[in-house]
Amino acid sequence: MATVAPAATPILEARGLSRSFGNVRALDDADFDIYPGEVVALIGDNGAGKSTMVKALSGSLAVDTGEILFDGTAVDLDSPTVAAELGIETVFQDLALAPHLNAQQNMFLGRELPAKGPLGRLGFLDVSTMRKQSQDALDELGATVRSLTVPVGSMSGGQQQAIAIARAVAWAKGVVFLDEPTAALGVVQTRNVLDTIRRVADRGVAVVFISHSMPHVMEVADRVQVLRMGKRVATLDAKNTTMEELVGAMTGATTGATR
Amino acid sequence: MSNQTISPSLEPLPPGDRPSRHTFDLVESLGKLARVQVFQIVLVLAAICLVFSIMAPGSFPEWGNIRQIIQNVSILAVLGIGMTFVIVTSGIDLSVGSVLVFSGVVSAKTMAAIGGDGWGVAAVGIVVALGCGLCWGLLNGFLIGKAKVPPLIVTLGTLGGALGLSQVITGGVDIRDVPPVLVDTIGYGNLPATTIPLISSIALVLVVIFGIVLHRTKFGLYTFAVGSKEQSARRVGIKVDMHLVKIYALSGTLAGLAGILSLSQYGTTAIAGQSQTNLNVIAAVVIGGTSLFGGIGTMFGTVVGLFIPAVLQNGFVIVGVQPFWQQVAVGAVLIAAVYFDQRRRDAASRGQSSSSLKRLWSRSP
Amino acid sequence: MITSRTAVVALSVASVSAMFLAGCSSDSGSGGGSGKIAFIQGVSGDEFYISMQCGIEAAAKDAGVTVDTQGPVKFDPTLQKPIVDSVVASRPSAILIAPTDVAAMQAPLEAASRAGIKVVLVDTTLEDPSIAVSSISSDNKGGGAEAFSAIERLSPAGGKVLVISTDPGVSTADARVEGFEEAVGANSAFDYLGVQYSHNDPAEAARLVSAALAKDPDIVGIFAANTFAAEGTATGVRQAGKQDQVKIVGFDAGPAQVKQLREGTVQALIAQQPGTIGTDGVEQAMAAIDDKPVTAEISTGFHVITADNIDGEGAQYVYKSSC
Repeated sequence: MATVAPAATPILEARGLSRSFGNVRALDDADFDIYPGEVVALIGDNGAGKSTMVKALSGSLAVDTGEILFDGTAVDLDSPTVAAELGIETVFQDLALAPHLNAQQNMFLGRELPAKGPLGRLGFLDVSTMRKQSQDALDELGATVRSLTVPVGSMSGGQQQAIAIARAVAWAKGVVFLDEPTAALGVVQTRNVLDTIRRVADRGVAVVFISHSMPHVMEVADRVQVLRMGKRVATLDAKNTTMEELVGAMTGATTGATR
Repeated sequence: MSNQTISPSLEPLPPGDRPSRHTFDLVESLGKLARVQVFQIVLVLAAICLVFSIMAPGSFPEWGNIRQIIQNVSILAVLGIGMTFVIVTSGIDLSVGSVLVFSGVVSAKTMAAIGGDGWGVAAVGIVVALGCGLCWGLLNGFLIGKAKVPPLIVTLGTLGGALGLSQVITGGVDIRDVPPVLVDTIGYGNLPATTIPLISSIALVLVVIFGIVLHRTKFGLYTFAVGSKEQSARRVGIKVDMHLVKIYALSGTLAGLAGILSLSQYGTTAIAGQSQTNLNVIAAVVIGGTSLFGGIGTMFGTVVGLFIPAVLQNGFVIVGVQPFWQQVAVGAVLIAAVYFDQRRRDAASRGQSSSSLKRLWSRSP
Repeated sequence: MITSRTAVVALSVASVSAMFLAGCSSDSGSGGGSGKIAFIQGVSGDEFYISMQCGIEAAAKDAGVTVDTQGPVKFDPTLQKPIVDSVVASRPSAILIAPTDVAAMQAPLEAASRAGIKVVLVDTTLEDPSIAVSSISSDNKGGGAEAFSAIERLSPAGGKVLVISTDPGVSTADARVEGFEEAVGANSAFDYLGVQYSHNDPAEAARLVSAALAKDPDIVGIFAANTFAAEGTATGVRQAGKQDQVKIVGFDAGPAQVKQLREGTVQALIAQQPGTIGTDGVEQAMAAIDDKPVTAEISTGFHVITADNIDGEGAQYVYKSSC
């Protein structure tokens, strides 16, 4: 089921990214690559540079040096909007939902459907269509969201996560980044998220997820890329690796399988 | 399909939804609580009216008196529109009273310089007043949206600046030379063939228009988004800075309009006046259910919130209660409103940091 | 589908309409709530207006009518207008009022007059006072001139003098300043530095005086044209440490100013007769109600209170803080 480093062009590739915050070198000549329809787990110890890498690849953060290629072409990811236009969506740990808005409003935030006709140009919105599409997206995810019209801030962490992921997945055409998507979730919801990751990849969208849970990583990822001290130290085939190997690469106890 | 409303926290369940077992109680009670806020203040207003009607049946419920109340809240209503937008973004605009005075002063001076009494002069005055308000609003907006200075500080500064400039321009002496057409038609005139005050009709039309903008358009939705969680709005590509500029520009322009309305109603620039206006408007918006911490609010609530202090004062005067009790009563209503807002907020934003008062003081991008 | 918000709006409109209908059917005749008059102060909490209130209440008791006193928390027409409107709705037989702006209060008081309520202007006036049955105030111009005489007595050698007033456009204060200016112009021994405005804020008056003394350290006399101006002026002089050099004559005699008089920071107080203004006001109002002849304009006098007579005959002219 998993494809391992096929010979096609990576949908997203980073070469030699470096980024410092003051004296701290968060990314130190780091690389990354992912192919369409692939699930890559990005792992590493705390402070290894995972979140920085994700921010850089999703347009939220500028890099000092290095280049990023989307589908083989060098791109300049100035802002999340630029990244979104290319088809890169991200779900950060804080979810970036607006708590007072409801699920449908959050799903379409920034990308609202205008009402038909002249009213649309005045700023009126096609709420019924957006509501239907939101419901469809959530259903496809298997998420049980009680109501589309209640503020998301009143929902449980799991439901909010589902909405955030559904949003990213619904809009993503190329790559989806998920930063610790199962961190705050219970067993059932975690299952849903992992199933969703697989389903999204099957659709042809590439999924990158950061996780500290080795079992989840090994279960759902195709490849695992390990960051340590701002560098990529290993790229491993998830199906052919062991927990010890992963942890070893993360902590530097062993040198990686690929350098 | 169902009746579309975008305003958050004020929706019943669509009929087809089945609650999932885990979240039933929480969401249900939150929905009730949110809806109850607007109900609550309407009930409070109705109760106050009822009490005064019983205590002074010949005077209070009479159309002549009610008409006066409506006329006297009209200018505050115009300011309240802008203030609702501003407070929904978790900002604040303390400068509206001073911008009102400034716009009135410049407008009056312009009209006096042109000379004449007719509608042509008045029209120029109206445009000038709106322009003044827009300028101050843009100044506020750029300092807050682009330069990232906290709204409290910026509008405190423009409060002093606008008022000071008004005093410089006039030497502190009020201009009492207002074209009579303004005073007679807008200030005290009625809609043709009715006894409904024209100034109140203008205010009502604006309230309705901007209520629709707030609750049904993308502009209004983005206002709520920015107030709810600015960072999230930025992440999805909403141009938050420009949006804030527009919000404060709106507030300023409406203050300019209020300036010409005030000129019409009082026949003077009243530079030393409007001393309580800022706080009265903010109190009205908050009593009406708009949260100082952003993300929640309704235009209808603001309107009701305007009437509660006005009716309290009117009733107290008619019944003969000492003026100081009026202040106490309004203060109590305000505290109660904020208390309920805080309770609602705690329920609505679980897992979020509750030190949202920080938003008034700092601007984290 | 009916949302809860629609229901709320519908409910409110329905209940408000119900009240309109109830109100419209009730009698909305002309003024004539028997036995009731209203007094609207310029600002509540000001001893001048409280003394006036005492005079009014005493006279009303004698005349057998009740008095309701209301006033804005600041001397501000935007605050006073809603009060006037509400008082008019309660339909007293007469309103005694100190208007906070000659133009802004014109229309609301005209409405009162049209409703059959007798309007008496006390202290301040309107652009067109003819709508009132009577206007009663102190001879403020004479008071200003008397203030200058007091300064002349205190500093016979002459020198620089300054006036601190409240707001330009307040008719009473302007008249006092005018009286003072005319008197000082006639006396070449004195050098008039002009008038500054403290906006009825004692703290502002103190600031203005401090700044003026910094600019002209040899000022010999200051005339403070109302209660709050006098309070602040004394503070400013004391802060500059010039109590011995600068003679202050204040208008109005509230308890705080009397204290300053006893302490020696203020040398003379020109006291108006707010109580008399009040009693005269009630008299005129009752005359108008009973269709008897009224006096259109009444000027009341003033008294000079100094440290010499404060415990003697001057004591009765001090303004009251409660009745």
